[in-house]
Amino acid sequence: MMESNRGHLLPIYVLADESGSMTEHIDDLNDGLRSLHQALLGEPMAAAKVRFSVLGFSDDVIERVHLVDLRSASEFPQLTTRGMTSYLAAFEDLINRIPNDVGALKREGYQVHRPAVFFLSDGLPNHGEDWRDAHRRLTDRSTTLGAPNIIACGIVDADAHTINQVATEPQFGFVANKGVDVGAAIAKFCTALTKSVISSGRSLGSPQPQLVVDKPEGFTVAIDVI
Amino acid sequence: MRFGRNPDDGREQPHVPPPPGPAPALYQRDPSDSYDRPDPAASAGYDWHGNQSWPPGVPAPNVPGRDGPAPPPAHPGTLAERWRTIAVDGAVPVFDPRPPTGGLSYRPDTVCDGWSTGAVDLRLASVRGYAHRAEGRPREDDAAAAWDEHTGTVVFAVADGVSDARQPHIGSQLACRSAVDELLGQIRGSGGFVTDWRKLLNTVHWQLVVQARRLLHQEEASVAETADLLATTLVAGVAVPTPEGVRVALVSVGDSGVWAIKHQQLYPLRGGKAVGADGLVSSAVQPLPYVPADIAPYEYLLDPGSVLLVGTDGFGDPVGDGRGAVAHLFACELERPLPPLAFAHLLDFYRETFDDDRTLVALWPRAAAPGGSL
Repeated sequence: MMESNRGHLLPIYVLADESGSMTEHIDDLNDGLRSLHQALLGEPMAAAKVRFSVLGFSDDVIERVHLVDLRSASEFPQLTTRGMTSYLAAFEDLINRIPNDVGALKREGYQVHRPAVFFLSDGLPNHGEDWRDAHRRLTDRSTTLGAPNIIACGIVDADAHTINQVATEPQFGFVANKGVDVGAAIAKFCTALTKSVISSGRSLGSPQPQLVVDKPEGFTVAIDVI
Repeated sequence: MRFGRNPDDGREQPHVPPPPGPAPALYQRDPSDSYDRPDPAASAGYDWHGNQSWPPGVPAPNVPGRDGPAPPPAHPGTLAERWRTIAVDGAVPVFDPRPPTGGLSYRPDTVCDGWSTGAVDLRLASVRGYAHRAEGRPREDDAAAAWDEHTGTVVFAVADGVSDARQPHIGSQLACRSAVDELLGQIRGSGGFVTDWRKLLNTVHWQLVVQARRLLHQEEASVAETADLLATTLVAGVAVPTPEGVRVALVSVGDSGVWAIKHQQLYPLRGGKAVGADGLVSSAVQPLPYVPADIAPYEYLLDPGSVLLVGTDGFGDPVGDGRGAVAHLFACELERPLPPLAFAHLLDFYRETFDDDRTLVALWPRAAAPGGSL
């Protein structure tokens, strides 16, 4: 009989912009993911609670890493720039992907925390594309099994208003300050988030667990710069 | 809760989940490593007389070969091996635990206790979680137990300080101590009965508020301020020897839980974490100092051969629905009382992703009386 309590897992998705406008920053992004990987290797107890996916999006979504245990992962496949910036394609992919992943983990006997999505972009979606309806369906907890918390990180010339709309909470939207080491900042942000979610999942007086995200070093809350 | 008919005696029983499948051997016990388990046949049965001397059948202290110093191990060099962490799943992380930071005076990593009355054997342990050891945070769980020698009643409490609070270890310790004191007062005043469960929780609530005032250096502290500082879960109760057997009654606030072991199966009785409508696990709790509007004491009559477990979610989460490897480990190892240190060692097992503080109180009825029903 399959156990129903093999462990508690937090699915984390990095949804990374691979569009052409990211050409100058894709190396920083890859470096940032390597830093995140290294940081979690140094915290095996936190890493054990995470299943990590990396998705590159442009006109469509390419799965680079799927629900990997970072302690046993080798080098991540490189994100590469290509095509345009379809937020619609990105969110439609998650609408199908996340419920399937949550169901698969539960069938393996794990208890699953609400997934967290790190959305990384330069903040300029395809002009005229209606991505907001897909975003609404993705984050509607009555519609999508495992509707995620989305932490949106805008880098370099990110549009703060757009990043703020993607984040599921105002305090989950960040834009990087000019001139900071973006990769290192992203790694610090991701590590802090992982530890926060796992070690302090309880929340005072709330019917739902709260995802507490501290402002990462080198970032500014997106709403602040509007 | 669903009920089924006990084929042995026809009485109503809590629904027991189906037996777990064969579990893999978790670790090999060295035959020379066996501990001195109490002989059930030597149990006194229900024969409690509070004004008499220690009842027959109860292990007397300082009896050579029972409670005296253990003989030197046959292989002294293997002592560390014998106390190696019990790994249920995954590689035990190797690190040196950090001392608690934050200006604490003293907060031990582990506490354990154990003793027997004429009616029950009690074991208690509270161990710091692996995450807190690595991060240099104190153990936020706590437990307390005592007894009333006139009625033979054992009182107990376990608490889990809420991590988001600023001084959760103080909250859990204060909740346990004040709950035990209040229960003893009620038991002594009534001749063996808990007369007012609401007063118990109100007393703990008040103690937390008063402590918050001290810590904040304020004349008043609101419930919200108290929760921000000292929020804690609590399970507190009593085990009363009666002619029918050992009757347990308790209340629970938060996600700490109650389990039983019977026929080498461990199954949940009450509490534990809620799973949301979407199947995702929720860690949210409504802790003390918030007192629930509806207080529903839980009562259980302990069967001989069964064990009652009261613990925090650090124990309850890995135990789950009682069908996994951790539940199997405890169901087998706690068939009879362990030495207190071994009980704490067992509770300090390692399984990946379960690194919270753990606290557990176990009660074995010594009386050969019927029980096991609500």
